[in-house]
Amino acid sequence: MDATQKQELRRLFASRLTGAVRMYLEACTHCGTCIPACHAYASEPELRHSSVGRAENIRRLFWRHFRPQGRLAGWLNEAVELSEDWMEKVYETAYTCTGCRRCVTYCPFGIDTQQIQSIAKLLLIGAGREPQVLSMLADMSIAKGENVEATKASFTQAVQGLEEEVIARWRSEAGREAIPIDEKDADLLYVALAGKHSIIPAAAIMNAAGENWSLSYFEAVNFGAFVGNPEKTREISQRIIDEAVRLGVREVAICECGTAYRVMKFMMGELPFRVVSFVEVIARYLREGRIQIDPRKTEQRLTYHDPCQIARNGGVMEEAREILAHLTRDFVELQPNRVENWCCGGGGGLVAMGEKEFRMRSARVKAEQVRATGAEVLATACENCHTQLSDLNEHYALGMRVAFLSDLVSQALVASQ
Amino acid sequence: MGDYSIAKTLDYKGLPCPMPVVKISQDIGSVDVGEVIEVLTTDPGSLADFPAWAKTSGNEILETQQDEGTIHIFVRRVK
Repeated sequence: MDATQKQELRRLFASRLTGAVRMYLEACTHCGTCIPACHAYASEPELRHSSVGRAENIRRLFWRHFRPQGRLAGWLNEAVELSEDWMEKVYETAYTCTGCRRCVTYCPFGIDTQQIQSIAKLLLIGAGREPQVLSMLADMSIAKGENVEATKASFTQAVQGLEEEVIARWRSEAGREAIPIDEKDADLLYVALAGKHSIIPAAAIMNAAGENWSLSYFEAVNFGAFVGNPEKTREISQRIIDEAVRLGVREVAICECGTAYRVMKFMMGELPFRVVSFVEVIARYLREGRIQIDPRKTEQRLTYHDPCQIARNGGVMEEAREILAHLTRDFVELQPNRVENWCCGGGGGLVAMGEKEFRMRSARVKAEQVRATGAEVLATACENCHTQLSDLNEHYALGMRVAFLSDLVSQALVASQ
Repeated sequence: MGDYSIAKTLDYKGLPCPMPVVKISQDIGSVDVGEVIEVLTTDPGSLADFPAWAKTSGNEILETQQDEGTIHIFVRRVK
């Protein structure tokens, strides 16, 4: 690694060193409380697959480059110099972690390990060593925002082609579109993913509730966040923010996608509209009596996986239980659940990157947790979790059906009694 | 359909996000430069995702067609 690149990486590292981040880097006493909290360590007990094990790879750089004692007597803190070899450790730090923050809830000092992970991801971008697939997906999202006008007509046509499937779940009032797009003065902008599975159930539910809604032209997921690029994260979100402002909506509902929800809710600063997870929207409709669901339509034993970015990091936990109480008479909680739930093992970009061998190996504890419930249906509210849980279901022969919460609700919609 | 022959047809129907774009970025290497892949998908978002991917990757979307719930995207490998 030449001096110019080292200087640039040092600059990127320094750009992350807020007071809080310095505290996170300096306060660790190596008590080890976080070690068994990581699903990867619990599945495969190696220190490198623990929160503190990963963070140390960044701390050792911090001591060498930003602390006098590290420069003068590096051996005291095992300080290390930025180097090509050490960047491999930085990569392992960033991409063996799903960003679930389960470790944070156990740390007695409140060290937010994701702030340390964000340094690792930024260094990888600076060195051109980040997973290219994540950068490609982020660039694609940005290009989509720049060319949206060129694809609006074909997207609208494709969405109209889904209307029959929406109506099969809930017939809208005469004269109302089953999937409205570009509705000025809609109350709610629903931001889906590319796939029809994230559009059809939500459309049926909102139509049943009589919601004045509009479908976004953009996909909710934010690959800028997965790759740890703050500028791209902002650009990707800005497309949706601009659309919401143009339509004058009061609320933006993010589909069942954990990262999309966390980014829009917590990372975009003050916005002129409310940001909610679609889980919150369904719970509200049930609470207000705007939709009814028949629990007899979900007769199998059901359990629920709290997506980390919606539950532990987003605070949306009891809303899911409200829905589940309406949805089934045979619900069994995962143990542990809510804030303490085990991560599925697919977050942080790992699903998009592939990494199936690691994902299966590092989530053995998740598979065991799910199997112990004896449930036949495993519901969740995040695309990443759904993909990972489906892979675990197959890999560990769990014999379950993995389902989105919105799909189960839309299949059980009934007219008011 | 335009005046070109299809070297390969790939079925991406029902894949979770973001797999259609991830797969085309991998599968495009399986044909020679100048050849055309037909992608089948059911994702409305692919109609915007694929042109954006083509722009950033330097490939070309020749046309898109929609029939009975299936979207056909014709991709020419340029690089």
